[in-house]
Amino acid sequence: MVLEMQEQGNKKTRKAQEIDDLVDDNTILVRRTLRSGQKINFSGNVVILGDVNPGAEVMASGHVVVLGALRGMVHAGAAGDEQAVVVAFRLQPTQLRIANHITRPPEDESARPSQPEIARIKDDVVTIEVFQTGGERQGFVV
Amino acid sequence: MSEVIVVTSGKGGVGKTTTTANLGTGLAALDHKVALIDADIGLRNLDVLLGLENRIVYDLTDVTGGHCRLRQALIKDKRFEGLFLLPAAQTKDKTAVNPEQMKKLCADLVQEFEYVIIDCPAGIEQGFRNAIAGAEKAIVVTTPEVAAVRDADRVVGLLEAAELRNPTLVINRLRPKMVRHGDMMSIEDIIDILAIELLGVVPEDEMVVISTNRGDAVVQDERSRSGQAYRNIVRRMKGETVPMMNLDQNGFVGRLRRIIGFK
Repeated sequence: MVLEMQEQGNKKTRKAQEIDDLVDDNTILVRRTLRSGQKINFSGNVVILGDVNPGAEVMASGHVVVLGALRGMVHAGAAGDEQAVVVAFRLQPTQLRIANHITRPPEDESARPSQPEIARIKDDVVTIEVFQTGGERQGFVV
Repeated sequence: MSEVIVVTSGKGGVGKTTTTANLGTGLAALDHKVALIDADIGLRNLDVLLGLENRIVYDLTDVTGGHCRLRQALIKDKRFEGLFLLPAAQTKDKTAVNPEQMKKLCADLVQEFEYVIIDCPAGIEQGFRNAIAGAEKAIVVTTPEVAAVRDADRVVGLLEAAELRNPTLVINRLRPKMVRHGDMMSIEDIIDILAIELLGVVPEDEMVVISTNRGDAVVQDERSRSGQAYRNIVRRMKGETVPMMNLDQNGFVGRLRRIIGFK
């Protein structure tokens, strides 16, 4: 099954416009677990309330946040945004892509991350760190 | 209060047919009226497991094609009054039936039977779509292997898309010793990924092969652990609360039971 979620044409009132300046306007909330063979392709940010299982794919032009275990394939900043990040409660993807960087977890490491982690591009390298709240420490302003 | 249940897995060889045969036999042993449908057209096996191969005259495609009445195609089991098999055709393929025909067939069978259990073919193509078309419930069978669990996950997603929500899980061929040594996926590992309700765990057991080859169902074997596991699953299907079997035989009680003959 392929879920193609298209950007919705949003009519902006002045108030909405002001809010838009503060937050990204396109974010989709997926309220289920993505199982093998299922796919989300969205131009904007994707927030998933559930797991992304092995064999599932998430592609987003913006950030990807998984409130669960991320074990499938994820591509943030799919349109080329190097500022895009991937955050997951348990970040153990089969493959992780940000913009045009493609990475996979190290072969020898099977340890389960016990804390939420964030993946992003730093100095042209995809790095994974423990996620800490607070926009400034994360290096991007919400 | 009849139920149409499909037994499916995605991957082949994990024990769909064995599970179907055992659950059907187990329910029939408790005096329920059960119809088993072999939906694996072209690769029929269920008749062999039940030892009914030489009694087939008409098959599923004859019924759906209108060549015979449903009653004529149903084969009565050797051991149990209430157990019937609707065999698959061996000389046709999956395209010989369509989902609409399967829906009609299941609707006809629930008039007469308390449980209709459909043995789904491996794969996710037309055979799978036919098998799930008439079902109201699904049992997903997997073995503790990465590939089987992956395919089971895919199937759970497809079942949900087909409005067959909340499938239950049977983990087959678990080897507790290997799990203990970290060489096999544990029950927890599998549940962690699939996140569906566990219906039962069947340990690896030679008795399954032995009784299968004899055309018997291991569920009737009072002494085998796999038989006990299947009997527990049958009781859970009936809505009873049955605690999970202790698969770890290395404890004192386990050793003692083995010595005195309770496997």
